Amino acid sequence: MSGDAALGPWWPYLVLVLVGFLPNEIWRVLAVALSRGLDENAEILTWVRAVATTLLAGVVAKLLLSPGGALAAVPLAARVGSLGVGLAGFYVLRRSVIAGVLLGEAALVALAWWARAGAA
Amino acid sequence: MALVPAPRSAINAGVSSRSDPLVFWRGARDALALPAWIVGLSLLGVGSLARDAGAPAGMAVLSTVLMWAAPAQVLLFGGLLGGAALPALAVAICVSSLRFLPMTMSILPLVRRPGQRWPVQVAAAHFVAVTAWVEGMRRLPNLPVGERMPYFFGFAGACMALSAVLTLAGYQLVGVLPIALGAGLLMLTPLFFTVALVASARARQDWAAISLGFALEPVAAVVAGRDFDLLALGLVGGTAAYLAGRVGRRA
Repeated sequence: MSGDAALGPWWPYLVLVLVGFLPNEIWRVLAVALSRGLDENAEILTWVRAVATTLLAGVVAKLLLSPGGALAAVPLAARVGSLGVGLAGFYVLRRSVIAGVLLGEAALVALAWWARAGAA
Repeated sequence: MALVPAPRSAINAGVSSRSDPLVFWRGARDALALPAWIVGLSLLGVGSLARDAGAPAGMAVLSTVLMWAAPAQVLLFGGLLGGAALPALAVAICVSSLRFLPMTMSILPLVRRPGQRWPVQVAAAHFVAVTAWVEGMRRLPNLPVGERMPYFFGFAGACMALSAVLTLAGYQLVGVLPIALGAGLLMLTPLFFTVALVASARARQDWAAISLGFALEPVAAVVAGRDFDLLALGLVGGTAAYLAGRVGRRA
């Protein structure tokens, strides 16, 4: 990580606050202002919840299609396949979230291992 | 909101503040039973990524406490690793965290007590992330109004505390972990988001929102571009899902 010499060891923390924290936190603070006076049963919150759920699913799609770090080294088919295994595990094992996550993880690690062994 | 502010004593009447610590610890205990470990382990992967990017350990741990958003943290450290321009990185992080606006707006009315002051609400909003949102939307409506706030702080606080510790663990473990395991840790976020969304989906609106979010993201990335795809996706897909849900409720 390159740093500004004048700030020395504080540079990473300035980056964290300006580039990481503030652009991220603004939505949470804005939400406090916008939700003022809204009752938990307000109809508009049903729409807001639909937008939130769609966004979450969109973030997942984005993480699968253009991942960062070590996950980028795993083929797309393995990333999508392990998600399928996780969902199947969730349904087969009595709707257990932990079972779904563990099976999906096992599938991804196994596929990643296999893909690397095949490439080597 | 009430037109006439209620007197302080009336506000506190239904709150029973004496049991607050008890409810707080119950929330923390429920989180540590499983949900906190899932977020925590996904942040273990973020810790490793931060080390790869050459960030100091304190920055990695503080990113969990201050940002509390695994996808944005992956963007930050992945961007630093790839040498991205900082202003562009700030914009990408801002857009990726747009989901916190509708998430926080929908959970705050459940969490807060009548007449809750805004600093407490801002503090509660800071703890909103997928785990606390999905679990909170499911658990909070069943709790007495007075218990929701301490329960939420206990639950989300335990998630964050464990995640901060595991971020540091991930930072120290880098190089020790085989690549396949590192990939597995980064896969935890999308995997858990998906299973949790499916587990908490009840009405037609939820299913429509999940399917549209998945199906439209690649389309939105092309039509709206990599910067505004999530904004377009949330508004168009979310509205369509809401309308589908309304039709379902009337039928």
